Amino acid sequence: MMEGKLEPLLAVRDLSATFHRHGAPSRVVDGISFDIAPGESVGFVGESGCGKSVTARAILRLAPEGSSIELGGRILFRGQDLLRLDAAAMTDIRGRDIAMVFQDPMSSLNPVLSVGAQIDDMLIRHTGLSRRAARRRAIELLDLVGIHDPASRADDHPHQFSGGMRQRVLIAIAVSCQPALLIADEPTTALDVTVQAQILRLLLRLRRELGMALMLITHDFGVIAGMVERVHVMQAGAIVETGAVDALFAAPRHPYTRALLDAVPRLETGGLDSTAGPA
Amino acid sequence: MIRMVAVRLLLTLPILLGVSVVAFVLMRALPGDFAQASAGTSTISAEALDTIRRNLGLDLPVWRQYLRWLGATLSGDLGLSFTTRRPVATEIFPRLAVTAELTLIAGLMAGLMGVTTGLLSARLRGVAEWAVRGWNSLLLAVPNFVIATLIVLLFGLYFPSVGIFNYVAFARDPSGNIASLLLPALSLALTVSVTISENTRAAVLEVSSQDYVMVAKAKGLRPRAILRDYLVRNALTPVVTVTGLQLAALLGGSILIETIFTIPGMGQYLFDSIASRDYPAIQAIVLVAATIVLLMNVLVDIAYARVDARVSYE
Repeated sequence: MMEGKLEPLLAVRDLSATFHRHGAPSRVVDGISFDIAPGESVGFVGESGCGKSVTARAILRLAPEGSSIELGGRILFRGQDLLRLDAAAMTDIRGRDIAMVFQDPMSSLNPVLSVGAQIDDMLIRHTGLSRRAARRRAIELLDLVGIHDPASRADDHPHQFSGGMRQRVLIAIAVSCQPALLIADEPTTALDVTVQAQILRLLLRLRRELGMALMLITHDFGVIAGMVERVHVMQAGAIVETGAVDALFAAPRHPYTRALLDAVPRLETGGLDSTAGPA
Repeated sequence: MIRMVAVRLLLTLPILLGVSVVAFVLMRALPGDFAQASAGTSTISAEALDTIRRNLGLDLPVWRQYLRWLGATLSGDLGLSFTTRRPVATEIFPRLAVTAELTLIAGLMAGLMGVTTGLLSARLRGVAEWAVRGWNSLLLAVPNFVIATLIVLLFGLYFPSVGIFNYVAFARDPSGNIASLLLPALSLALTVSVTISENTRAAVLEVSSQDYVMVAKAKGLRPRAILRDYLVRNALTPVVTVTGLQLAALLGGSILIETIFTIPGMGQYLFDSIASRDYPAIQAIVLVAATIVLLMNVLVDIAYARVDARVSYE
């Protein structure tokens, strides 16, 4: 949309990620570069294990507990290299400037805290609101993401919500500090198809209302359509094709992109006839 | 919740009945009885022994003795001690208070040590983990009476100024009383801390790989807040269980530790009562200990619901 005209919000240069497990290094992201402009929405598509989630987590410097990951290259956010920030400065950026929505809403909320408390703690951390003001804001946020009766639901615990409702809560948490960039890593994969559409519409609406940039990661081209302006197709830790979403749908150049597109079931061709589809 | 507690309390009654039968039968299955035990090595005529037995009702068949005991107990009378001829109830409660105090101190020590070492080994890994696990293995392998004996030897031989055996009643000297219980409590606590430590470690490790901890990091929460509200709060449930059950076991009194340190608690009372075949006292001690364990179980269940909102007893 505004590519080239504005200073990029996020500029990733030659990013690599190497896991060290049991001594043997394995490189899962291999020198990728891309930009995200302010307010832009960009999709990352590829099969499981192609490195798209690791890329997303690398931006926030999040590694799974107990694993050690080595990141190379540069991740420039507003011109500042995130990979060179000290731990405290990185913690300040997480949630406040760059927020993330994860794949599995069933396990992403703390089961012993009320959902309101899980929005409060983030607001108090980043905005310095008082506890009471934070709760008022949390209720507004729950209302914003479409939770009915938010004032009383804020005191409920995660197990009292369905999967789709929990993902709404997690989205409310993610947008609570009005981040400049929202990373959504497979936000609908764990949900029913009907709920998927609602969550995608919600993300689309919030992006417009809050003016966030969106980095949407998925294995499903069906999710990308209508959500993003540009798409990066990833395979084996590298970006193999980049393009405007319509152009890519109409004329994929890379054979892997074509295979991914063929894997999307279509009504007119009789549905699930693909055998070459990615997982 | 209230319903659950009521049902659970009601269920303890048949269990207590069973426990009392088993204790009653087992004690009478032991060779010797009060008459012989009190005679000691001196020779007493068979007639004199029979008189003692008749006076105490020991000449009746066991089932009639049991029914007599049960009837009295149900009406709130635990009977008279054979040895002191005083009501068992007034004998047992001061001793229970001593053991409860000892357990409280030991529980605090064990909780502090266990949670700290468990957290350290789970969070720091590396050398800290190996040190804690080695220490725990050592404590688990060494029974608490060996630890108690070593403590007695250490202080007796090298620091005789620290009194080991001078237990004083709380009413006489509160601070001296607590000080006199520190070493015995330590020898109880070291073993209990292993269970708490290992359970804390396992629970924290499990919780730290949960998605919501990753989410907490992505929210930019500070490490201390994540540790407190996300890791510890969630790891608490299994730790509460094991701690509760361990403390219940300690409340019954530790025969060995109380005997080694000459503390007039439940354990020593039980030991003396068994040695003299003081049946009413033994029955009362067993009954009180079993009641404590059962009540502790109910308390643990209530504690679950307090720390974890997912648990409800409706």
